[in-house]
Amino acid sequence: MDLHRNRKFVYLGLFSLVALVYLIQIFRLQILDDHYEQKAINNALNKIPIYPDRSIIYDRNGKLLVHNIAMYDLIVFPAKAKGIDTAQFCEIMKISGEDYHKYMATARENSKKRQKNNVFNGSAVFMSNLSKEQYSAIQENLYRFPGFSVEPKTDRLYAVKGGAHMLGYLGEASKKLLAKDPYYRPGDLVGVTGIEHTYEAYIRGVKGVKTVWQDRTYTERGEAKDNEFNSPAQAGPDFYSSIDFDLQEFGESLLANKRGSVVAIEPSTGEILALINKPDYDPNLLVGEARARSFRQLLIDPKKPLYNRAIKGVYPPGSTFKTVMALIGCQEGVLKPSTTHGCSGGYHLGSLTVGCHPHPSPTDLKGSIGISCNAYYCQLFRDIIDNPRYPNVKTGYAALEKHLRSFGLGSKLGVDLPGENKGNVPTIKQLDKRHGKSWKSSMIISLAIGQGEILLTPMQMANCAAIIANKGWFITPHLVKGIGVKKYLPDEFKKKHYTTVSELYYDWIINGMEMVTKPGGTAFGTGINDIVICSKTGTAQNPHGQDHSLYIAFAPREKPKIAIAVIVENGGYGATWAAPIANLMIENYLNRGKEPQRPDMLERIRTSTVN
Amino acid sequence: MARINTSREDNPVLDTVSVWLYVLLVIIGLISVYSATSEVNQTFQFSFSSIAGRQLIWIGGAVIIILTIAFANVAIIDYFAYGFYGFAILLNIAVLFLGKEVSGAKSWFGFGGFGIQPSEFAKVATALAIAKYLGTYGIRFKGTRNVVITMSLFLTPMLLILAQNDTGSALVFLSFFLVLYREGLPGWILLSAVWLIVIAIARIVMEATGISHLWTMGTLSLLAALIVYFGRKNRQLIIATLFVAAASAVFSVAVGFAYTKILKGYQRDRIELVLNLKQDTRNMGYNLEQSRIAIGAGQFVGRGFLKGTQTKMGFVPEQHTDFIFCTIGEEWGFVGVLVFFGLYFGLLFRIVTLAERQSTAFGRVLGYGVVCILFFHVAINIGMTIGIIPVIGIPLPFISFGGSSLWAFTLLLFLFLKVDEKRR
Repeated sequence: MDLHRNRKFVYLGLFSLVALVYLIQIFRLQILDDHYEQKAINNALNKIPIYPDRSIIYDRNGKLLVHNIAMYDLIVFPAKAKGIDTAQFCEIMKISGEDYHKYMATARENSKKRQKNNVFNGSAVFMSNLSKEQYSAIQENLYRFPGFSVEPKTDRLYAVKGGAHMLGYLGEASKKLLAKDPYYRPGDLVGVTGIEHTYEAYIRGVKGVKTVWQDRTYTERGEAKDNEFNSPAQAGPDFYSSIDFDLQEFGESLLANKRGSVVAIEPSTGEILALINKPDYDPNLLVGEARARSFRQLLIDPKKPLYNRAIKGVYPPGSTFKTVMALIGCQEGVLKPSTTHGCSGGYHLGSLTVGCHPHPSPTDLKGSIGISCNAYYCQLFRDIIDNPRYPNVKTGYAALEKHLRSFGLGSKLGVDLPGENKGNVPTIKQLDKRHGKSWKSSMIISLAIGQGEILLTPMQMANCAAIIANKGWFITPHLVKGIGVKKYLPDEFKKKHYTTVSELYYDWIINGMEMVTKPGGTAFGTGINDIVICSKTGTAQNPHGQDHSLYIAFAPREKPKIAIAVIVENGGYGATWAAPIANLMIENYLNRGKEPQRPDMLERIRTSTVN
Repeated sequence: MARINTSREDNPVLDTVSVWLYVLLVIIGLISVYSATSEVNQTFQFSFSSIAGRQLIWIGGAVIIILTIAFANVAIIDYFAYGFYGFAILLNIAVLFLGKEVSGAKSWFGFGGFGIQPSEFAKVATALAIAKYLGTYGIRFKGTRNVVITMSLFLTPMLLILAQNDTGSALVFLSFFLVLYREGLPGWILLSAVWLIVIAIARIVMEATGISHLWTMGTLSLLAALIVYFGRKNRQLIIATLFVAAASAVFSVAVGFAYTKILKGYQRDRIELVLNLKQDTRNMGYNLEQSRIAIGAGQFVGRGFLKGTQTKMGFVPEQHTDFIFCTIGEEWGFVGVLVFFGLYFGLLFRIVTLAERQSTAFGRVLGYGVVCILFFHVAINIGMTIGIIPVIGIPLPFISFGGSSLWAFTLLLFLFLKVDEKRR
């Protein structure tokens, strides 16, 4: 009866065919194409950054300068933030409805970007750096606002009120930085200036990653343990700065109510002991939720408290420059300790007169530094560049320029702070432009006494003092003493840079510098009894107003421990403000723990205002 | 369970191979449902209120069904076949009025937290009724009356289920055409169906890419001309060819019309996505892509039990019901798929063998009814998850979560195994 028995093979064949076709397709998906696993991982894994603590910053003696405080960002996932009671939200966060919409619009934009990159989920910073009040208020009410969450991170807490310019401040990562460096997310804090900026790569530590599973609606579904992407956050290593903060604070107190800058360097290492600018600001202003507001105020403050004069400000070095000129004169063979020049109230050449103050005449090299004779250096300057050794004045000047540049002048020293100014050592081209092609030594003679086109930063002046202290070399001044347990110091801060002036001649000049605080010297009366201070005053003419008061010094003479440059803008004579400030700081540094010898002078400087 | 000793007759047990394959598949299903509904790498936790827990309760119910069948008198099956069919038809009519709507389809009776889908049981009842009818002494699948009655037996529930707006379940009834082939349905009818599907797909591709009907006509004319030329001595062939060509042309135009004017947008989308005529990373296309990603991510040995992120995080839609195969593919890889196919197609082959050893038309038709329904489900369901068949929402028998389908398929399989046990 069963006519179609053989048809069973059609069924078996059909089943086999379908099974085969399906297995081939599955084989293609699973074995031949290996993109699918990655796609699955991209779908379900969300990498959440864990913020490390930034380095704790200490001074050279281990005094705590900067540490951290926990801060909170309010995060929103815009797609999930539906049905928010905006009025209530604004009430809790103490923000305006306008702000709410503005923040939300920004968050939405960032969220979209992030989803496009498929790296993180679509959450974005809504408000960063919540205040304590905002944090506790929103924390209690988070359940009312779906899509919102609070993410911890750390912000800076300053243990000190000073040192603002060398420590620097943090700010939110700029759009430019975000585009350049994928390490940063919008709202991340980065060092904008100072040590915080230069050593950002160390100080920031290493962000950790916590991977979590997230489902199709971006809801977190537990931590992905043992995932290859997981890593703990690593705090930034302890950062030891070269600053002596006691000296720094002391110097800041001296420079109070004045405009100017102090840079102190340990000559043997190039370590910056103090970096002071006035006016300045309290670094604690630039933390937390007040950061942006305070920053705007500081930025528009006409007193320019953010301005780091020590490395950005340029000044004619005035008479302090005579030390360098004398050294070059010796090297060029036109100056010996016994060289004497007379001075009749200044230097006269035809119609040209460079004035000088009354003093015994003639002077030798030592005396010329001690009493700062202008005529002596005008003569020296001409001897250097009009030297018959050289075919013409320009080759003579070129020799001078080369020497000057070996002192680190006219170019960035390479200090570990952003925005350093080069200062200026006039090139022949510059002089040609200014004085015409056929200038003579007499036309640029003001360079002899540190006026004219020559410009130095306070850092360069201090470095000159350090060079003289070291008798011919310097290490690039720096604010880092050591990073981390191994006290890592970048190689560029170990290398000695030699000047083109031989070590032989330095003592000749130092002999003169020792005279400056002695009877007959320009800064007599500002010295410290038991310390041999070698120094040079300067009074830089300032076309915009009163002369700047300048002073460079190092001490003690044997095995110098500190080299310093002080500039008090519009302070008049170098001996009036700059010299006492520098010498008091030298005393503070070298006679630490002893009673100040000059309480009267200290009091006068501290309480005076110079405008 | 495999050796249920019911009597002292010739075949004292249900077919051992089938029972074991069934048991293994149900266990795989339970494991997959558990995995699909748990968190990644979750430690073992179980409760009867969870989805896997509810599946276990359903399995408990299935065991009762099996035991009942095992101890029942086989005559009851034959005796109540029409009654059961009539009852199923009534339920499927009633659900149109009393049912609750679940995602657009009105195919559920709700009882508190649980629901019953009468369309699942209509399959069983229809298989029984057709077997009973064709098993009746003196009736064969021949003659207009017999053919019409047989066809109405499965087209009636199919239409009712279409009315419930449950297209997937309704399409399953097409598998009875496959059953009838064994009973003498001429092969050319099935071949025509295949030919029509080819024409339809070709037309849809052309429709979607904007190619005119003239191309279809031209191609058909060319083919017909060739056949007529080479078979010009055979008059019958010429007439048949011309007829087929004309019918095909009409059908093609009709498909074009139906496709553009009758099908809804989402239905067109589903078809076009599978035919690769459309790239869509959202909605349906997204689901299909996620389903492929899930299976593809399994690679050779799979990502491991409870490690399938695609199927646990909601990327794959209907992860514990219609798309349950993704969990198997993702977590057990190609190796797991091979084993699974081995078991599943092993069961299908086994049922064909059992059907062939039946001495009665009733047993044979019932056997083929079982195997064709199962085959249709497997082919559609897995074909959909791997992206070679449009998304049609029907469960993977024994594996997908769901009481109605598990019970219906259990009933279907074991009624046949009982009949097989008592074969003479």
